[in-house]
Amino acid sequence: MPRCIVLHPTDNVATLIDTARAGEDCTLQGERQGAVRLLQDVAFGHKVCITEVPRGGEILKYGQVIGRATQSITVGEHAHVQNIDSARARGDLAEGR
Amino acid sequence: MSRTSIRPVLGAISLKVGKNMAKTFLGYRRAQGRAGVRNWIAVISVMDNCNPVTRAISQAVAGTIPVTAMFVRGQFGADLEFALGALAGMGRNPNIGGVLLVGLEPESTEAVASLIRPTGKPVERVHLQPDGTIECIARGTRLAARMALQASQARRESCPISDLTIGLECGGSDTTSGLSCNPAIGRMADRLVADGGTVIISETSEFIGAEHLFAARAIDEQVKRDFLAAVKRMEDLAVGRGVNMRDSQPAPDNKRGGLTTVEEKALGALAKAGKSPLVGVLGYGQPPVRQGLHFMDAPSAAVENLTAFAISGCQLNCFGTGVGNPIGNMVSPTLKICGNTNTLQSMRDNLDFDVSAVFESSASIADLGDQLYERVTDVASGTLVTSELLNVRETAVSRFERSL
Repeated sequence: MPRCIVLHPTDNVATLIDTARAGEDCTLQGERQGAVRLLQDVAFGHKVCITEVPRGGEILKYGQVIGRATQSITVGEHAHVQNIDSARARGDLAEGR
Repeated sequence: MSRTSIRPVLGAISLKVGKNMAKTFLGYRRAQGRAGVRNWIAVISVMDNCNPVTRAISQAVAGTIPVTAMFVRGQFGADLEFALGALAGMGRNPNIGGVLLVGLEPESTEAVASLIRPTGKPVERVHLQPDGTIECIARGTRLAARMALQASQARRESCPISDLTIGLECGGSDTTSGLSCNPAIGRMADRLVADGGTVIISETSEFIGAEHLFAARAIDEQVKRDFLAAVKRMEDLAVGRGVNMRDSQPAPDNKRGGLTTVEEKALGALAKAGKSPLVGVLGYGQPPVRQGLHFMDAPSAAVENLTAFAISGCQLNCFGTGVGNPIGNMVSPTLKICGNTNTLQSMRDNLDFDVSAVFESSASIADLGDQLYERVTDVASGTLVTSELLNVRETAVSRFERSL
């Protein structure tokens, strides 16, 4: 089974250390046990959602905020730039722009 | 993968130090200051118009390295002082046994020479004016050959490991970087600091989103304030320009490697700094004056950042990579450390140290970091790295102002 690593108990994403296909079950390692069924193909090193996140919700990895969900993300979904955005250094969102 | 191999990313590492005999490497002792891990004659351009001659001389003489410049001619005021000081910093680096300056005219060359001479190492000068490139190459080649012969008479001696200052860098990062190579570098850094050495982490923009964790490790309020101010200036720059920094931070190759946001990249990058306290904040190229972990406020791109480390006197760099970035530094040998099994296959010619065992055989970060520390000691004693073997080395001094 493809493996993915959870770095902190509060994380809602895990990092794949194998390439995995839609429909495959990934083993969770590290700070959580169990498995997550992938809804999409996810490449080596990319992240998968392991806990439902609502639109605007914080994405947690290493137990730290790494961005916000730009749409709701369900368990087993590929979690990356298409549904997560940085919350920092956002000149494009600065007042008066 | 075992839990213990994951925790060191942000968790506690218990260091077993103080039991070993004082650690040493075989280096070149200098008349002043710390020992070198190499003993090159640096052929240094005083300005960009000298680069072709600098390259020709260095190509002709074994034991030399070319250190090229961009601009300088046309820079003025504090900006010119900065540029000349940066070139001199590379000449002062402990890895350099002697310096041949290649200038256009004597005044600017002397400005650099006068900053290097206090180290006691030989400094020679050649100029393009008035006789042109052929004569300049001929004179420079003879001088460089004489200096290289002289330098080759030096022998490596046992030197305390505390003489080392190591730059901590990452480039071509992906999600494996924060889980494998960067924490292994962090472990190595902690070992070196515990043995009395110095490490410098930099790449200011790569602290955005992780600065609160690093700031908490500052030894006093001043260090904490200086560090946070540097990160804020960087973030304000992105905000002031009205851009979303994500187009370049994370870079497109970082995103292909699975890194989504600058915050995520920052948390992984921070792992390079291990667990030691942050003792000082340095400006661009500024040499540390005390031992321990330092932060340098400098741009993140690999060539530019490694050059800043070389200017500050780092004798070596440890460079973590995920999707792969082969470039090394001219003055400071740069070890490429990687945990991405795909990159370790595809780019193996350019990589020095494999930490993929953290994924493939549940090796602990502590063990891999300890092995890396041994490799660093070997490289400090003369073992070559891939960027030296294949000569993939470059120099780029940052530019902050415009010319006349």
